Amino acid sequence: MNEETKKKINQKYEHKLAHGERFWPDSLYKDAVVALGIFLLLILLATFVGVPGEPKADPSDATYVPRPEWYFLFLFKFLAIYGQIPVLGRIEWIAAVLIPGIFLIVLTLLPFIEKKPDRHYSKRVLPISVMGIFVVSVVTLTLIADHPLKWDAQYRLTSLLQVISGLIIPTAAYLLLFLFSFLLKDQRASQGMVLTAGLSGVLMVGLTASVLFLAPVPEVEEVFVANTLPDRVVAGQDLYSIHCVECHGDDGSVTVIEGVEGLDGTVTSPISGMDVLYTFTDATIANIITYGQQDLGMPPFGKAAGGELSVSEIDYIVTFMRYSWDDRFEMPEIPELFPPLAEGEVPSYEVHIAPIAKRFCISCHREGKDNNNYLMTSYDEIIHSGDSAPNLVAGDAESILLKVIQEQNILDENGEEIIGVMPPKSVLKPDVVDVWVRWVMAGMPETVDGAAALSDIVEPVER
Amino acid sequence: MWRKLYAWLEDRLGLEEIYKATLDRPEPKGNWWNTLGSASLFLFLLQGVTGIFLTVYYTPSPDHAYDSIQYIMNDVAFGWLIRGIHHWGSTLMVIVVFVHMVRVFVTASYKYPRELTWIFGVGLLLLTLGMGFTGYLLPWNQRSYWATEVGTRIAGSVPLIGDSILRVLRGGPDLSALTLQRFFSGHIWIIPALLAAVIGVHLYLVMRHGESHFPDKDD
Ligand code: HEC
Ligand code: HEC
Ligand code: HEM
Repeated sequence: MNEETKKKINQKYEHKLAHGERFWPDSLYKDAVVALGIFLLLILLATFVGVPGEPKADPSDATYVPRPEWYFLFLFKFLAIYGQIPVLGRIEWIAAVLIPGIFLIVLTLLPFIEKKPDRHYSKRVLPISVMGIFVVSVVTLTLIADHPLKWDAQYRLTSLLQVISGLIIPTAAYLLLFLFSFLLKDQRASQGMVLTAGLSGVLMVGLTASVLFLAPVPEVEEVFVANTLPDRVVAGQDLYSIHCVECHGDDGSVTVIEGVEGLDGTVTSPISGMDVLYTFTDATIANIITYGQQDLGMPPFGKAAGGELSVSEIDYIVTFMRYSWDDRFEMPEIPELFPPLAEGEVPSYEVHIAPIAKRFCISCHREGKDNNNYLMTSYDEIIHSGDSAPNLVAGDAESILLKVIQEQNILDENGEEIIGVMPPKSVLKPDVVDVWVRWVMAGMPETVDGAAALSDIVEPVER
Repeated sequence: MWRKLYAWLEDRLGLEEIYKATLDRPEPKGNWWNTLGSASLFLFLLQGVTGIFLTVYYTPSPDHAYDSIQYIMNDVAFGWLIRGIHHWGSTLMVIVVFVHMVRVFVTASYKYPRELTWIFGVGLLLLTLGMGFTGYLLPWNQRSYWATEVGTRIAGSVPLIGDSILRVLRGGPDLSALTLQRFFSGHIWIIPALLAAVIGVHLYLVMRHGESHFPDKDD
């Protein structure tokens, strides 16, 4: 750039300044309005959307599908799409390092690459087209980031669309842009470039829209996250009921294990006693649960040691133990296991039976336990499974399940017991039994709405 | 009385000069797109303030990071608000900085005499993304742990020096307490310090050359 042009630019700028505004107050006023707007928006987002809960990091959980922060998603998706290219796709660093690297260098050195002093957009068709396609790519790749890229029958079409929109169109558009700018002259070149950029932009947006429309993102299983202390205690109690009760008992007071294969007669210290709770820190207890005490008979439960509990779940159990048994901690107010029933009200599976089953029955009635193949982890299983199925018959007060929870065991013709009382080592409280009876007699509705339809409430209870 | 005090201060501090140099500057006719730079600055400062509050309770160790965040969210008065603003502020800052860059590009404001302003600007974009990358690990939850695990692995795919980069980022071959410590230090000291310094230079250059005017047909 010669001195002449520089002078011209500076003169023009002086002229613009003379006919402009003052930084204070004209510009600052606009800045302040925008800052205030941003601040309010952030407060609204923090209040009404909040920060989604997530379970604690679990390095041993290799099943977790990793996903970067959203503003890196476009790069992540680009890598995935690039990986579909035969042969070249194997060389990851080309897409992960080389291409972004080139982009960055071009971006940094832009003022020296685009040297002409022209500033009006009509004289900058090539740079604006290149940037435009880049921005559209970033946005569209971000939008389709979670859509599966697989070549089985269900996803073949949408995967192809993704490759076309995320890789082929931008590459072809860039090639065309440079071809036009080198081969054609002024007017014709601009026309060609505008057409290329416009067309590829529209195509990319259209293809992205069809991917969004045609290939629904597979539902990711919501992981339950207990955020408040009461939630954590309740979650911990449920997990304790499922995993620990058979050896340590409802209240952690068992000293001699009974009825557990291979461990009958094993002596344990009561884990609800202050000997254990005062001497072990939370981290130690979490460690014992994670890795077990193999030589003493305590099995490992953490995923890190091949068990089925995540780091967060083990934390919940420790929290439950502390707040329920350690006399230095005060139990927070926790919600009842199920809402009390009014006279004539019918309980539902969702709200009443599921939490009761979780608390009192699932420890034995799930896969891999001795239970006559009677599983109780879902509505279907509770109604249909079991060697003596049906264990539940709608409207039948003599249903097997109702008998065994009311301390009547089931005998065969010779008077031998086939099914003992349930749960085997304790007795359900009358209000829990009442829920079961009412539920079976009313026809075993699954949902709250189903239950409400069957209800004939005399007088609602105070809640 | 006030006049006297003012005159005394003016004499020692040179307030008038500062006022002339910083606030009372002529500018070309502005437009709303020109607020994006100061919006980035505002977000940077807001992230700084909320971030400082968060460090009061946050503990950068794998054993306590998660619980300390839970504590901030549930037990500290207005902790949820501070964290919420910091969380959403990071997202918004990336968007605003990016759009600021696009606007500067479209108006070709990086041309003579503002080339250096642009180059330092690219540095700011990278540093802003660096803030996001390091901050994401700090809550030590599943999402952040695995995002960092893939993020650092991708950085490790650089030919020849990839393995060294990976080790420097993670503080060893695997994600560990050391990684968290490192990301924490990067997130609250190293990157913000760089960011503040580069913003300083960036703003000096913006003031020195003045805001560019909106290009018209002859430009
Ligand atoms: C298969 C039976 C069994 C199950 C199930 C079981 N434990 Fe244990 N647990 C043991 C035995 C045996 C010991 C060792 C006894 C001892 O050292 O006092 C033990 C020890 C412990 C200890 C350490 C006690 C001490 O004094 O060292 C804790 C804490 C503990 N268990 C908690 C749990 C929790 C929480 C669960 C549920 C996730 C659980 N256990 C499930 C059998 C079991
Ligand atoms: C400590 C383990 C344990 C718990 C807890 C437990 N069960 Fe059982 N359940 C068994 C076993 C073992 C059997 C197999 C029959 C037997 O040995 O008595 C069984 C069988 C049954 C059967 C008969 C299944 C069939 O098809 O033969 C029913 C019904 C049943 N249980 C209901 C319940 C209910 C309802 C609860 C919760 C309130 C419960 N059980 C809690 C261990 C348990
Ligand atoms: C933390 C991030 C950033 C902050 C705080 C910041 C701040 C500012 C401010 C306050 C202005 C003047 C007002 C305006 O024009 O909007 C400005 C102008 C400018 N910025 Fe940034 N900026 C940041 C990032 C960037 C990036 C990423 C780029 C480009 C890569 C960039 C390039 C420029 C240029 C060239 C100007 C001069 C524009 C003109 O004179 O019209 N900045 N910046």
